[in-house]
Amino acid sequence: MNLLITSAASATAQLIAAALGEKHTLRLTDLSRKASGDIVSNELGHGSETDDLLAGIDTVINIGYQGQSGSAAHLMDYHTRRMYNLLQAASDAGIARYINVSTLRLYEDHEENLVVTEKWRTDPSAEDTELLAAHMAEYVCKEFARDRLIQVANLRLGWPFDGTGVGETAAISSDLIGAAVEEALISEELGQWQDIHVQSQVARQRFITKTAATLLPGLAGRLSS
Amino acid sequence: MNVLILGGNGMLGPWAVKAMKERHDILLTDINEPYPEYKGEYQKLSADDVDGVVKAAEGMDVIVNLSVLRPDRQFAFDVNMMGNYAMMVAAREHRIKRVITTGPHYQMAGQQYEEWDFDLIPDMPPAPGTRLYAHTKALGQEICRVFSARHGIQLITLLYYNMKHSWNLGGPEAPPVYHDDMVPYSTAWQDCGTAVQAAVEVPEERLATRSETFFILPDLPHGKFNNEKTKRVLGWVPRYHVEGLWNKEYRQPDSNLTEAF
Repeated sequence: MNLLITSAASATAQLIAAALGEKHTLRLTDLSRKASGDIVSNELGHGSETDDLLAGIDTVINIGYQGQSGSAAHLMDYHTRRMYNLLQAASDAGIARYINVSTLRLYEDHEENLVVTEKWRTDPSAEDTELLAAHMAEYVCKEFARDRLIQVANLRLGWPFDGTGVGETAAISSDLIGAAVEEALISEELGQWQDIHVQSQVARQRFITKTAATLLPGLAGRLSS
Repeated sequence: MNVLILGGNGMLGPWAVKAMKERHDILLTDINEPYPEYKGEYQKLSADDVDGVVKAAEGMDVIVNLSVLRPDRQFAFDVNMMGNYAMMVAAREHRIKRVITTGPHYQMAGQQYEEWDFDLIPDMPPAPGTRLYAHTKALGQEICRVFSARHGIQLITLLYYNMKHSWNLGGPEAPPVYHDDMVPYSTAWQDCGTAVQAAVEVPEERLATRSETFFILPDLPHGKFNNEKTKRVLGWVPRYHVEGLWNKEYRQPDSNLTEAF
Protein backbone atom coordinates (compact mmCIF):
# COMPACT_ATOMS: atom_id res chain seq x y z
CA MET A 1 0.00 0.00 0.00
CA ASN A 2 0.93 3.63 -0.40
CA LEU A 3 0.72 5.21 3.02
CA LEU A 4 0.91 8.78 4.24
CA ILE A 5 2.16 9.23 7.80
CA THR A 6 1.69 12.65 9.40
CA SER A 7 3.74 14.32 12.15
CA ALA A 8 6.50 12.15 10.79
CA ALA A 9 9.26 13.69 12.89
CA SER A 10 7.57 12.49 16.07
CA ALA A 11 8.67 9.43 17.99
CA THR A 12 5.31 7.71 17.42
CA ALA A 13 5.44 8.24 13.67
CA GLN A 14 9.04 7.06 13.47
CA LEU A 15 8.15 3.91 15.32
CA ILE A 16 5.22 3.19 13.01
CA ALA A 17 7.24 4.00 9.91
CA ALA A 18 9.95 1.58 10.99
CA ALA A 19 7.36 -1.16 11.42
CA LEU A 20 5.62 -0.59 8.09
CA GLY A 21 8.49 0.48 5.87
CA GLU A 22 9.43 -2.93 4.53
CA LYS A 23 5.98 -3.94 3.34
CA HIS A 24 4.60 -0.58 2.22
CA THR A 25 5.57 2.53 0.34
CA LEU A 26 5.65 5.39 2.81
CA ARG A 27 5.23 9.11 2.31
CA LEU A 28 6.26 10.93 5.46
CA THR A 29 5.11 14.47 6.14
CA ASP A 30 5.36 17.11 8.83
CA LEU A 31 5.16 20.86 9.19
CA SER A 32 8.01 22.78 7.61
CA ARG A 33 9.62 23.64 10.91
CA LYS A 34 10.03 19.94 11.69
CA ALA A 35 10.51 18.38 8.29
CA SER A 36 13.95 17.22 7.20
CA GLY A 37 15.51 14.37 5.26
CA ASP A 38 12.85 12.06 3.84
CA ILE A 39 10.04 14.00 5.44
CA VAL A 40 7.99 16.09 3.04
CA SER A 41 7.23 19.55 4.33
CA ASN A 42 3.53 20.40 4.31
CA GLU A 43 1.47 22.84 6.36
CA LEU A 44 -1.80 20.93 5.82
CA GLY A 45 -3.50 24.06 4.59
CA HIS A 46 -6.73 24.15 2.62
CA GLY A 47 -5.03 24.77 -0.69
CA SER A 48 -3.90 22.41 -3.40
CA GLU A 49 -0.68 21.50 -1.60
CA THR A 50 -2.60 19.15 0.67
CA ASP A 51 -4.34 17.60 -2.34
CA ASP A 52 -0.93 17.05 -3.91
CA LEU A 53 0.35 15.43 -0.72
CA LEU A 54 -2.38 12.82 -0.96
CA ALA A 55 -1.95 11.94 -4.63
CA GLY A 56 -1.69 8.18 -5.01
CA ILE A 57 -2.13 7.46 -1.31
CA ASP A 58 -4.25 4.47 -0.24
CA THR A 59 -4.47 5.11 3.50
CA VAL A 60 -3.58 7.97 5.83
CA ILE A 61 -1.99 7.27 9.20
CA ASN A 62 -2.42 10.34 11.34
CA ILE A 63 -0.62 10.84 14.62
CA GLY A 64 -3.42 12.28 16.70
CA TYR A 65 -1.56 12.50 19.98
CA GLN A 66 1.91 13.86 20.73
CA GLY A 67 2.79 14.22 17.10
CA GLN A 68 3.25 17.93 17.59
CA SER A 69 4.61 20.22 20.25
CA GLY A 70 4.32 23.91 20.95
CA SER A 71 1.82 26.38 22.32
CA ALA A 72 -1.74 25.54 23.25
CA ALA A 73 -2.95 27.58 20.30
CA HIS A 74 -0.73 25.61 17.90
CA LEU A 75 -1.80 22.24 19.27
CA MET A 76 -5.47 23.13 19.08
CA ASP A 77 -5.11 24.52 15.57
CA TYR A 78 -3.14 21.54 14.31
CA HIS A 79 -5.51 18.94 15.68
CA THR A 80 -8.67 20.64 14.42
CA ARG A 81 -8.23 22.93 11.42
CA ARG A 82 -5.35 21.04 9.84
CA MET A 83 -7.03 17.71 10.54
CA TYR A 84 -10.16 19.05 8.84
CA ASN A 85 -8.08 20.08 5.83
CA LEU A 86 -6.38 16.70 5.67
CA LEU A 87 -9.61 14.75 6.03
CA GLN A 88 -11.37 16.91 3.46
CA ALA A 89 -8.55 16.43 0.97
CA ALA A 90 -8.41 12.69 1.70
CA SER A 91 -12.12 12.24 1.19
CA ASP A 92 -12.03 14.36 -1.97
CA ALA A 93 -9.26 12.08 -3.24
CA GLY A 94 -11.39 9.02 -2.62
CA ILE A 95 -9.12 7.61 0.07
CA ALA A 96 -11.15 4.96 1.81
CA ARG A 97 -9.50 4.66 5.20
CA TYR A 98 -7.89 6.96 7.73
CA ILE A 99 -6.16 5.62 10.81
CA ASN A 100 -6.05 8.06 13.69
CA VAL A 101 -3.46 7.15 16.31
CA SER A 102 -4.85 8.40 19.57
CA THR A 103 -4.32 7.56 23.23
CA LEU A 104 -5.95 5.71 26.07
CA ARG A 105 -4.83 8.55 28.30
CA LEU A 106 -8.18 10.09 27.39
CA TYR A 107 -9.48 7.78 30.14
CA GLU A 108 -6.65 8.22 32.61
CA ASP A 109 -8.82 9.91 35.24
CA HIS A 110 -11.04 6.84 35.50
CA GLU A 111 -10.14 4.56 38.39
CA GLU A 112 -8.13 1.54 37.37
CA ASN A 113 -10.66 -0.93 38.70
CA LEU A 114 -13.24 0.15 36.13
CA VAL A 115 -13.64 -2.02 33.04
CA VAL A 116 -13.19 0.79 30.54
CA THR A 117 -13.91 -0.22 26.96
CA GLU A 118 -14.62 1.50 23.67
CA LYS A 119 -18.20 2.00 24.85
CA TRP A 120 -17.08 4.49 27.51
CA ARG A 121 -17.06 8.20 26.84
CA THR A 122 -13.62 9.77 26.94
CA ASP A 123 -12.94 12.32 29.65
CA PRO A 124 -10.13 14.60 28.50
CA SER A 125 -8.40 17.09 30.71
CA ALA A 126 -8.93 20.77 30.01
CA GLU A 127 -5.48 21.52 31.42
CA ASP A 128 -3.34 19.09 29.43
CA THR A 129 -3.58 20.65 26.00
CA GLU A 130 -2.00 17.63 24.31
CA LEU A 131 -4.85 15.51 25.59
CA LEU A 132 -7.52 18.07 24.82
CA ALA A 133 -6.11 18.36 21.31
CA ALA A 134 -6.16 14.57 20.91
CA HIS A 135 -9.80 14.60 21.92
CA MET A 136 -10.58 17.34 19.43
CA ALA A 137 -8.79 15.44 16.65
CA GLU A 138 -11.03 12.46 17.37
CA TYR A 139 -14.06 14.75 17.20
CA VAL A 140 -13.08 16.04 13.75
CA CYS A 141 -12.42 12.51 12.48
CA LYS A 142 -15.72 11.23 13.79
CA GLU A 143 -17.73 13.86 11.90
CA PHE A 144 -16.08 12.90 8.61
CA ALA A 145 -16.97 9.30 9.34
CA ARG A 146 -20.50 10.30 10.34
CA ASP A 147 -20.95 12.02 6.99
CA ARG A 148 -19.61 8.84 5.36
CA LEU A 149 -16.86 10.70 3.61
CA ILE A 150 -14.15 8.37 4.85
CA GLN A 151 -13.77 5.37 7.14
CA VAL A 152 -11.84 6.09 10.33
CA ALA A 153 -10.12 3.57 12.55
CA ASN A 154 -9.38 5.33 15.82
CA LEU A 155 -6.59 3.43 17.57
CA ARG A 156 -6.26 4.47 21.20
CA LEU A 157 -2.86 3.23 22.32
CA GLY A 158 -1.75 2.52 25.85
CA TRP A 159 1.04 4.36 27.62
CA PRO A 160 3.94 4.53 28.15
CA PHE A 161 5.53 2.99 25.10
CA ASP A 162 7.76 0.05 26.08
CA GLY A 163 7.18 0.69 29.74
CA THR A 164 8.05 -2.17 32.04
CA GLY A 165 7.93 -0.46 35.40
CA VAL A 166 5.68 -1.31 38.29
CA GLY A 167 2.38 0.46 37.97
CA GLU A 168 2.65 0.92 34.23
CA THR A 169 -0.58 -0.95 33.81
CA ALA A 170 -1.50 0.60 30.46
CA ALA A 171 1.86 0.08 28.78
CA ILE A 172 2.22 -0.91 25.16
CA SER A 173 5.23 -2.30 23.35
CA SER A 174 6.61 -0.73 20.21
CA ASP A 175 6.18 -3.89 18.22
CA LEU A 176 2.51 -4.11 19.22
CA ILE A 177 1.97 -0.54 18.03
CA GLY A 178 3.39 -1.36 14.62
CA ALA A 179 1.41 -4.58 14.42
CA ALA A 180 -1.83 -2.84 15.42
CA VAL A 181 -1.46 -0.23 12.71
CA GLU A 182 -0.59 -2.93 10.16
CA GLU A 183 -3.71 -4.86 11.10
CA ALA A 184 -5.86 -1.73 10.97
CA LEU A 185 -4.69 -1.22 7.39
CA ILE A 186 -6.05 -4.53 6.22
CA SER A 187 -8.91 -5.44 8.53
CA GLU A 188 -12.24 -5.95 6.79
CA GLU A 189 -14.16 -5.90 10.04
CA LEU A 190 -14.15 -2.19 10.79
CA GLY A 191 -17.16 0.09 11.03
CA GLN A 192 -17.36 3.53 9.47
CA TRP A 193 -16.11 4.94 12.77
CA GLN A 194 -14.22 2.38 14.77
CA ASP A 195 -12.64 2.91 18.17
CA ILE A 196 -10.08 0.25 19.06
CA HIS A 197 -8.16 0.10 22.34
CA VAL A 198 -4.73 -1.49 22.27
CA GLN A 199 -2.27 -2.18 25.06
CA SER A 200 0.14 -4.96 25.91
CA GLN A 201 -0.47 -7.83 28.26
CA VAL A 202 0.98 -6.62 31.54
CA ALA A 203 0.43 -7.31 35.19
CA ARG A 204 -2.86 -5.79 36.40
CA GLN A 205 -3.67 -4.80 32.83
CA ARG A 206 -5.73 -1.60 32.86
CA PHE A 207 -7.70 -1.77 29.60
CA ILE A 208 -9.27 -4.83 28.08
CA THR A 209 -8.53 -5.39 24.42
CA LYS A 210 -11.33 -7.64 23.31
CA THR A 211 -12.37 -5.36 20.46
CA ALA A 212 -8.85 -5.31 19.09
CA ALA A 213 -8.62 -9.09 19.29
CA THR A 214 -11.90 -9.39 17.38
CA LEU A 215 -11.40 -6.75 14.72
CA LEU A 216 -7.66 -7.11 14.28
CA PRO A 217 -7.35 -10.90 14.31
CA GLY A 218 -3.65 -10.86 13.54
CA LEU A 219 -3.10 -9.45 17.02
CA ALA A 220 -5.18 -11.98 18.85
CA GLY A 221 -2.31 -14.04 20.16
CA ARG A 222 -0.56 -10.97 21.50
CA LEU A 223 -3.48 -9.57 23.45
CA SER A 224 -5.03 -10.74 26.66
CA SER A 225 -8.24 -12.65 26.19
CA MET B 1 -23.67 42.30 36.53
CA ASN B 2 -20.51 42.99 34.59
CA VAL B 3 -20.90 41.37 31.18
CA LEU B 4 -18.12 40.92 28.64
CA ILE B 5 -19.40 40.47 25.09
CA LEU B 6 -17.07 38.98 22.48
CA GLY B 7 -17.84 39.55 18.83
CA GLY B 8 -20.44 42.15 19.72
CA ASN B 9 -20.54 44.03 16.41
CA GLY B 10 -22.10 41.30 14.33
CA MET B 11 -25.76 40.87 13.53
CA LEU B 12 -26.84 39.66 16.95
CA GLY B 13 -24.69 41.94 19.12
CA PRO B 14 -26.75 45.13 18.83
CA TRP B 15 -29.93 43.28 19.79
CA ALA B 16 -28.27 41.66 22.78
CA VAL B 17 -26.91 45.06 23.85
CA LYS B 18 -30.32 46.65 23.43
CA ALA B 19 -31.87 44.00 25.65
CA MET B 20 -29.27 44.33 28.40
CA LYS B 21 -27.81 47.85 28.39
CA GLU B 22 -30.13 49.25 31.06
CA ARG B 23 -29.74 46.20 33.28
CA HIS B 24 -26.03 45.36 33.20
CA ASP B 25 -22.62 46.94 32.77
CA ILE B 26 -21.42 45.85 29.37
CA LEU B 27 -17.92 45.78 27.91
CA LEU B 28 -18.43 45.29 24.19
CA THR B 29 -15.53 43.86 22.19
CA ASP B 30 -15.08 43.06 18.54
CA ILE B 31 -12.37 42.95 15.91
CA ASN B 32 -14.22 45.71 14.04
CA GLU B 33 -15.15 49.21 15.13
CA PRO B 34 -18.48 49.51 16.93
CA TYR B 35 -21.64 50.80 15.34
CA PRO B 36 -21.72 54.63 15.53
CA GLU B 37 -24.88 54.47 17.60
CA TYR B 38 -23.22 52.46 20.35
CA LYS B 39 -22.35 54.69 23.31
CA GLY B 40 -21.08 52.21 25.90
CA GLU B 41 -17.67 50.80 26.80
CA TYR B 42 -15.85 49.26 23.89
CA GLN B 43 -12.54 47.51 23.29
CA LYS B 44 -11.12 46.35 20.00
CA LEU B 45 -10.34 42.67 20.47
CA SER B 46 -10.33 39.53 18.39
CA ALA B 47 -12.18 36.68 20.07
CA ASP B 48 -9.35 34.25 19.41
CA ASP B 49 -6.75 36.43 21.15
CA VAL B 50 -6.41 34.29 24.27
CA ASP B 51 -4.29 36.74 26.26
CA GLY B 52 -6.46 39.68 25.23
CA VAL B 53 -9.67 37.91 26.18
CA VAL B 54 -8.20 36.88 29.54
CA LYS B 55 -7.28 40.48 30.22
CA ALA B 56 -10.65 41.86 29.16
CA ALA B 57 -12.46 39.33 31.34
CA GLU B 58 -10.96 40.57 34.57
CA GLY B 59 -13.73 41.65 36.94
CA MET B 60 -16.51 40.20 34.81
CA ASP B 61 -19.40 38.11 36.06
CA VAL B 62 -20.45 36.67 32.72
CA ILE B 63 -18.84 36.27 29.30
CA VAL B 64 -21.06 36.18 26.23
CA ASN B 65 -19.49 34.99 23.00
CA LEU B 66 -21.39 36.16 19.92
CA SER B 67 -18.45 35.90 17.53
CA VAL B 68 -19.07 34.20 14.21
CA LEU B 69 -17.16 33.74 11.02
CA ARG B 70 -18.42 31.47 8.30
CA PRO B 71 -16.89 31.33 4.84
CA ASP B 72 -13.10 31.32 5.27
CA ARG B 73 -11.69 28.09 6.58
CA GLN B 74 -8.78 29.55 8.55
CA PHE B 75 -10.87 32.31 10.13
CA ALA B 76 -13.79 29.97 10.80
CA PHE B 77 -11.58 27.80 12.99
CA ASP B 78 -9.88 30.81 14.56
CA VAL B 79 -13.10 32.54 15.52
CA ASN B 80 -15.66 29.80 15.99
CA MET B 81 -13.41 27.37 17.82
CA MET B 82 -10.48 29.29 19.28
CA GLY B 83 -12.84 32.08 20.35
CA ASN B 84 -14.55 29.66 22.69
CA TYR B 85 -11.21 28.29 23.85
CA ALA B 86 -10.11 31.82 24.75
CA MET B 87 -13.39 32.45 26.56
CA MET B 88 -13.05 29.30 28.66
CA VAL B 89 -9.42 29.97 29.54
CA ALA B 90 -10.48 33.45 30.67
CA ALA B 91 -13.37 32.05 32.71
CA ARG B 92 -11.04 29.58 34.37
CA GLU B 93 -8.40 32.21 35.10
CA HIS B 94 -10.84 34.64 36.70
CA ARG B 95 -13.19 32.06 38.20
CA ILE B 96 -16.08 33.44 36.18
CA LYS B 97 -19.06 31.26 36.90
CA ARG B 98 -21.13 31.65 33.77
CA VAL B 99 -20.38 31.75 30.06
CA ILE B 100 -22.82 32.00 27.20
CA THR B 101 -21.99 30.86 23.72
CA THR B 102 -24.07 31.11 20.59
CA GLY B 103 -24.22 29.34 17.28
CA PRO B 104 -26.33 27.80 14.56
CA HIS B 105 -28.84 25.03 15.23
CA TYR B 106 -26.87 22.56 13.14
CA GLN B 107 -23.82 22.59 15.36
CA MET B 108 -26.06 20.20 17.28
CA ALA B 109 -28.91 19.18 15.00
CA GLY B 110 -27.00 18.43 11.83
CA GLN B 111 -28.40 17.21 8.55
CA GLN B 112 -29.10 13.70 9.75
CA TYR B 113 -31.49 15.09 12.36
CA GLU B 114 -33.01 17.95 10.42
CA GLU B 115 -33.82 16.03 7.28
CA TRP B 116 -35.32 13.02 9.03
CA ASP B 117 -36.86 13.93 12.37
CA PHE B 118 -39.37 16.14 14.15
CA ASP B 119 -39.72 17.47 17.68
CA LEU B 120 -35.98 18.02 17.87
CA ILE B 121 -34.86 19.06 21.34
CA PRO B 122 -31.66 20.80 22.42
CA ASP B 123 -30.51 17.93 24.63
CA MET B 124 -29.63 15.61 21.77
CA PRO B 125 -26.02 14.52 21.28
CA PRO B 126 -24.38 16.91 18.81
CA ALA B 127 -24.13 15.61 15.26
CA PRO B 128 -22.79 18.57 13.31
CA GLY B 129 -21.20 16.75 10.40
CA THR B 130 -18.54 18.39 8.30
CA ARG B 131 -20.10 21.61 6.99
CA LEU B 132 -17.56 24.24 7.94
CA TYR B 133 -19.77 26.56 9.97
CA ALA B 134 -21.55 23.81 11.88
CA HIS B 135 -18.37 21.84 12.40
CA THR B 136 -16.25 24.68 13.73
CA LYS B 137 -19.00 25.92 16.01
CA ALA B 138 -19.49 22.39 17.33
CA LEU B 139 -15.78 22.13 18.08
CA GLY B 140 -16.05 25.36 20.03
CA GLN B 141 -18.98 24.04 21.99
CA GLU B 142 -17.13 20.82 22.76
CA ILE B 143 -14.21 22.80 24.17
CA CYS B 144 -16.70 24.68 26.36
CA ARG B 145 -18.22 21.39 27.50
CA VAL B 146 -14.86 19.96 28.54
CA PHE B 147 -13.91 23.10 30.49
CA SER B 148 -17.35 23.23 32.06
CA ALA B 149 -17.10 19.61 33.19
CA ARG B 150 -13.64 20.12 34.62
CA HIS B 151 -14.08 23.49 36.27
CA GLY B 152 -17.77 23.71 37.06
CA ILE B 153 -18.25 26.75 34.85
CA GLN B 154 -21.92 27.16 33.96
CA LEU B 155 -22.19 26.89 30.19
CA ILE B 156 -25.29 28.10 28.38
CA THR B 157 -25.44 27.55 24.64
CA LEU B 158 -28.03 29.44 22.61
CA LEU B 159 -28.71 28.07 19.15
CA TYR B 160 -30.31 30.06 16.37
CA TYR B 161 -31.20 29.34 12.80
CA ASN B 162 -33.02 31.96 10.75
CA MET B 163 -33.26 35.52 12.01
CA LYS B 164 -35.94 37.88 10.73
CA HIS B 165 -36.60 41.59 10.86
CA SER B 166 -39.79 42.09 12.82
CA TRP B 167 -41.05 44.82 10.51
CA ASN B 168 -41.09 42.92 7.23
CA LEU B 169 -39.98 39.37 8.12
CA GLY B 170 -37.04 39.66 5.79
CA GLY B 171 -33.59 38.38 6.66
CA PRO B 172 -30.28 40.17 6.74
CA GLU B 173 -29.16 38.62 3.48
CA ALA B 174 -32.45 38.07 1.70
CA PRO B 175 -35.65 39.99 1.00
CA PRO B 176 -38.85 38.88 2.70
CA VAL B 177 -40.72 35.95 1.22
CA TYR B 178 -44.26 35.56 2.47
CA HIS B 179 -46.63 32.62 2.48
CA ASP B 180 -44.03 30.14 1.31
CA ASP B 181 -42.07 27.19 2.63
CA MET B 182 -40.27 28.99 5.46
CA VAL B 183 -37.41 27.80 7.63
CA PRO B 184 -39.28 26.17 10.53
CA TYR B 185 -36.95 27.82 13.02
CA SER B 186 -37.25 31.56 12.41
CA THR B 187 -36.89 34.17 15.12
CA ALA B 188 -37.20 37.95 15.20
CA TRP B 189 -33.97 39.79 15.94
CA GLN B 190 -35.44 41.45 19.01
CA ASP B 191 -36.24 38.06 20.49
CA CYS B 192 -32.78 36.77 19.65
CA GLY B 193 -31.43 39.59 21.80
CA THR B 194 -33.77 39.04 24.73
CA ALA B 195 -32.75 35.37 24.78
CA VAL B 196 -29.19 36.47 25.56
CA GLN B 197 -30.53 38.62 28.37
CA ALA B 198 -32.53 35.66 29.69
CA ALA B 199 -29.43 33.47 29.64
CA VAL B 200 -27.41 36.06 31.55
CA GLU B 201 -30.10 36.42 34.19
CA VAL B 202 -31.56 32.93 34.61
CA PRO B 203 -31.10 31.81 38.23
CA GLU B 204 -28.58 29.01 38.65
CA GLU B 205 -31.08 26.78 40.44
CA ARG B 206 -33.20 26.58 37.28
CA LEU B 207 -30.37 25.02 35.33
CA ALA B 208 -30.33 21.25 35.69
CA THR B 209 -26.69 20.72 34.71
CA ARG B 210 -23.52 22.75 34.25
CA SER B 211 -24.00 22.64 30.48
CA GLU B 212 -27.40 23.59 29.10
CA THR B 213 -28.39 24.24 25.49
CA PHE B 214 -31.44 26.03 24.16
CA PHE B 215 -33.17 26.38 20.81
CA ILE B 216 -34.21 30.02 20.40
CA LEU B 217 -37.38 30.10 18.35
CA PRO B 218 -40.98 31.15 18.95
CA ASP B 219 -43.93 28.77 18.85
CA LEU B 220 -44.18 27.57 15.28
CA PRO B 221 -46.69 25.07 13.97
CA HIS B 222 -44.31 22.86 12.01
CA GLY B 223 -43.33 20.66 14.94
CA LYS B 224 -39.76 20.42 13.69
CA PHE B 225 -37.86 22.06 16.54
CA ASN B 226 -39.05 22.16 20.13
CA ASN B 227 -38.72 25.33 22.22
CA GLU B 228 -40.44 24.07 25.38
CA LYS B 229 -37.24 23.93 27.44
CA THR B 230 -36.26 27.44 26.40
CA LYS B 231 -39.52 28.92 27.61
CA ARG B 232 -39.67 26.81 30.76
CA VAL B 233 -36.08 27.16 31.96
CA LEU B 234 -35.01 30.56 30.65
CA GLY B 235 -38.45 32.09 31.10
CA TRP B 236 -37.96 33.56 27.65
CA VAL B 237 -41.12 34.96 26.08
CA PRO B 238 -40.80 35.86 22.39
CA ARG B 239 -42.76 38.90 21.27
CA TYR B 240 -42.88 37.98 17.61
CA HIS B 241 -44.23 34.77 16.15
CA VAL B 242 -43.56 35.50 12.47
CA GLU B 243 -47.10 34.47 11.53
CA GLY B 244 -46.83 36.19 8.18
CA LEU B 245 -44.42 33.46 7.12
CA TRP B 246 -46.56 30.50 7.98
CA ASN B 247 -50.06 31.75 7.16
CA LYS B 248 -51.45 32.03 3.68
CA GLU B 249 -52.31 35.44 2.38
CA TYR B 250 -55.25 36.97 4.22
CA ARG B 251 -58.53 36.06 2.60
CA GLN B 252 -61.93 37.01 3.85
CA PRO B 253 -64.13 33.92 4.07
CA ASP B 254 -67.06 33.95 1.68
CA SER B 255 -69.50 33.35 4.46
CA ASN B 256 -67.99 35.84 6.90
CA LEU B 257 -68.80 34.92 10.50
CA THR B 258 -71.06 32.07 9.55
CA GLU B 259 -68.01 30.01 8.78
CA ALA B 260 -67.49 29.68 12.48
CA PHE B 261 -70.61 27.55 12.88
